[in-house]
Amino acid sequence: MSAAKEDGEAADPVAKAELDEAFEELYRSHLRDVYSYAYYRVGNHHDAEDLTEQAFLQAYRHFERARRESNGRPLRPWLIRIAHNLASNYHRDRARRPEAALDAIEPPSHPHGTEQVVEGREELRLVMDRIQRLSDDRREALIMRFALGMSNREIARALGRTDGATKVLIHRAIKQLEEEMSGT
Amino acid sequence: MSDETRQPHLEALLRDALRPIEPPEDLAGRLESTLTAITEQAAAELSSWAEELSEGELQALRDPRNWVRPVAAVAVGTVAGGALVLVGMRRRRQPTGLRATAENLLRR
Repeated sequence: MSAAKEDGEAADPVAKAELDEAFEELYRSHLRDVYSYAYYRVGNHHDAEDLTEQAFLQAYRHFERARRESNGRPLRPWLIRIAHNLASNYHRDRARRPEAALDAIEPPSHPHGTEQVVEGREELRLVMDRIQRLSDDRREALIMRFALGMSNREIARALGRTDGATKVLIHRAIKQLEEEMSGT
Repeated sequence: MSDETRQPHLEALLRDALRPIEPPEDLAGRLESTLTAITEQAAAELSSWAEELSEGELQALRDPRNWVRPVAAVAVGTVAGGALVLVGMRRRRQPTGLRATAENLLRR
């Protein structure tokens, strides 16, 4: 594989090879992150695959510039931002909610008794249903935090917000879920 | 459940509900093939384009002084195209209201 040349950059074969290697590392390290994010945004595997491919193709085109401008900071937020924008376009183009809701995902099994398993599954279904009811930005922040394990700073960079605003966003999302869960 | 115990429980529940999703096994391979194909295609197009040019033409292309004429031609073409579109639009636009009535009266 060979990373894209943009604006006549990376003409030096050694620099280009080094860039290719860095891109390969980036995509191997974050394929699961991008795929998970895409899946939770679009709700089905088929579109999540398409979105992941598109995200990496875009990343590939602009990799050198992003790497230069990142000043050594991790590129995961940049990558997730690409996926985030693509997912927004996906929803805008289709002007509809995800085909399969988050609650279509089977809750995981627990190594406990039958009653606890049933109770746990119900609780998971409930929390997935409540996540669906959150505003887009709150839901996206929770996906980044819990599915991808991103820090507040990373989420802030991915969403183009300040660290403080992101902290408040996540806090409010959890608070809203808490209230809705306790009200059931 | 108290507030102190509820939040860690909810966060654990969220971690469970939003588990990372493993991508399909063939996705990485497919993605790599697509990227390789794009690079090879770009390289092939570039080399065939370069082969068609003589050394003199390549030298001329590298000289920024020779970029002015094509850029000017594109600019002139764009302006001329825009003007034609404007003229076309004006021709198509039919007067309405008082102005149309006045023009009709004058034509008679």
